[in-house]
Amino acid sequence: MALVRSELQKLFTTRLWWIMLLVMLLFTGITLAVTIGFAGVEGGQGAPALPGRETLEFQQAAWTAGAGSSIFVMVLGIIMMTGEYRYQTITTTFLTTPRRGRVVTAKLIAGLLVGVLFGLASLLLTAAAVIPAVLIAGGEVALLDGGIPRIMLGVVATSALYALFGIGLGALVRNQIAAIVGAIVWVFVIEALLTAIPALQGVGKFTPSGAAQSLIAVQIDTGFGQADLLPAWAGASVLVAYALVFAVVASLTTVRRDIT
Amino acid sequence: MTAIEIRNLAKAFGPVRAVDDVSFSVAAGTITGYLGPNGAGKTTTLRCLLGLVTADGGTALVDGRPYTALERPLTEVGAVLEATSFHPGRTARDHLRVICTAAGLPASRADEALEQVGLADAARKRVGGFSLGMRQRLALGTATLGHPRVLILDEPANGLDPAGIEWLRGFLRNLAHERGVAVLVSSHVLAEVQQTVDNVVIIARGRLVHQGSLAELTGNGERPVRVHAAEADRLVPALEAKGARVERPGDGVLRVYGVDAEAVGQTVLDERVLVTELVRERSDLQEIFMELTREA
Ligand SMILES: Nc1ncnc2c1ncn2[C@@H]1O[C@H](COP(=O)(O)OP(=O)(O)O)[C@@H](O)[C@H]1O
Ligand SMILES: [Mg+2]
Repeated sequence: MALVRSELQKLFTTRLWWIMLLVMLLFTGITLAVTIGFAGVEGGQGAPALPGRETLEFQQAAWTAGAGSSIFVMVLGIIMMTGEYRYQTITTTFLTTPRRGRVVTAKLIAGLLVGVLFGLASLLLTAAAVIPAVLIAGGEVALLDGGIPRIMLGVVATSALYALFGIGLGALVRNQIAAIVGAIVWVFVIEALLTAIPALQGVGKFTPSGAAQSLIAVQIDTGFGQADLLPAWAGASVLVAYALVFAVVASLTTVRRDIT
Repeated sequence: MTAIEIRNLAKAFGPVRAVDDVSFSVAAGTITGYLGPNGAGKTTTLRCLLGLVTADGGTALVDGRPYTALERPLTEVGAVLEATSFHPGRTARDHLRVICTAAGLPASRADEALEQVGLADAARKRVGGFSLGMRQRLALGTATLGHPRVLILDEPANGLDPAGIEWLRGFLRNLAHERGVAVLVSSHVLAEVQQTVDNVVIIARGRLVHQGSLAELTGNGERPVRVHAAEADRLVPALEAKGARVERPGDGVLRVYGVDAEAVGQTVLDERVLVTELVRERSDLQEIFMELTREA
């Protein structure tokens, strides 16, 4: 579809995408470094906070590192939409394609594709760190069993769906700074609290990141007790439902609005 | 052939009636100036015509259809709306290529268009570093990507230096008179487009106040005789006796309509009034324009 190609071209002809990619890989890298560094290290009560590097549980925990990329993909989605308003390129976009629904659809599809690419990039980085770490520790590398495929799929799917969240939020808010600040506050403050505090987890498991965690989580007891999560299939449904809501929001807010 | 047809167009923003029952048309191969002071409703009219703003009433058609119903709009209509609608981090060439992809035009059109507007050398530079004049050229390149038969420009002369305005004139004249393109160009400064346009449409406070050729516009304005005299009032009865209509815009100043300068001079002589100035006022387009668009 020509419009999707045009949207991808828009993204790849400015510097933003690779800056975001670098930042995302850096973030994933730090998470990995912490996970690998503290694996098997004795905690205060004598039990290790993270399982040792030779174990399957360590690999399950390490592979989830890529999920941290979602917020960056969401910001990218926000900028794909709000950038058009900020630089008034939306005028040219709608002059070229006056049927605005098509533009929104093309943006959503382009966002999904970019989300998948970012998810795959963070998985590649994870593989490059986890596989040597396991081998050096004398463990056995698990890639196609032990729940690892589900975690990988979860990371990629979460990344793709968060791009849609960003595009929908961007279409609704339009002000770039406001949308990005809103997304960051939501993910790092509100969702973080809702999913971390046991008393709130009943609500938190229905937030996008709560649902995402249920896709990628391995049920390990970190000493704080088991997190209250949805089953994976329900988590996936909740995420897709959010994506649909954001897609509908993006369309409805964009189609009739006066561009002045 | 009518390329643009606007009929009873209306659009309000809250209490502001930005466009109020405006009707006019633009024929192929002609350049029409769409004139009016700032805030008159020009931009709103053009954005309604281009499907960016939804009108409250009336119709705005290009080649007989609403813009949003055009299958490949860029090949039929080109538009330059108020400048700076570019991503500063994208190069001029990439900007055009993105549009070519979306519009189904070959990527080679991007380079041709850059050549046409004299930006070939800056093709691979980021638009963020462009001057206002270069942006206007790039906007024109964007508008002509699909070789449209209709060109719509909103204040294209804003920010152009005299050489740029001269270049723009040539560019538009060539498109209209050699290639039969219908051009609608808005401006709040009559002088900017005076030498370029074939017809004018004048709008003020959302309402149409004049539509026709430039010549008709000049013809409409009567050229009064202005008289400065300390005892000017003494002239009024005698002038009115000769069928003149007299305005008194200030102390000791008369503006005399309906008789020629010689008749006024004869009256001065007959009444033995000392005058310090007696002059036939110039028919100034700008003044007529100001008169037409003056606040009611
Ligand atoms: N998005 C908007 N919201 C509210 N008022 C607007 C909007 N756009 C234009 N207007 C008002 O409509 C009137 C016409 O504006 P505009 O069409 O931009 O005039 P022009 O282009 O002739 O200067 C002005 O009074 C302006 O303030
Ligand atoms: Mg305007």
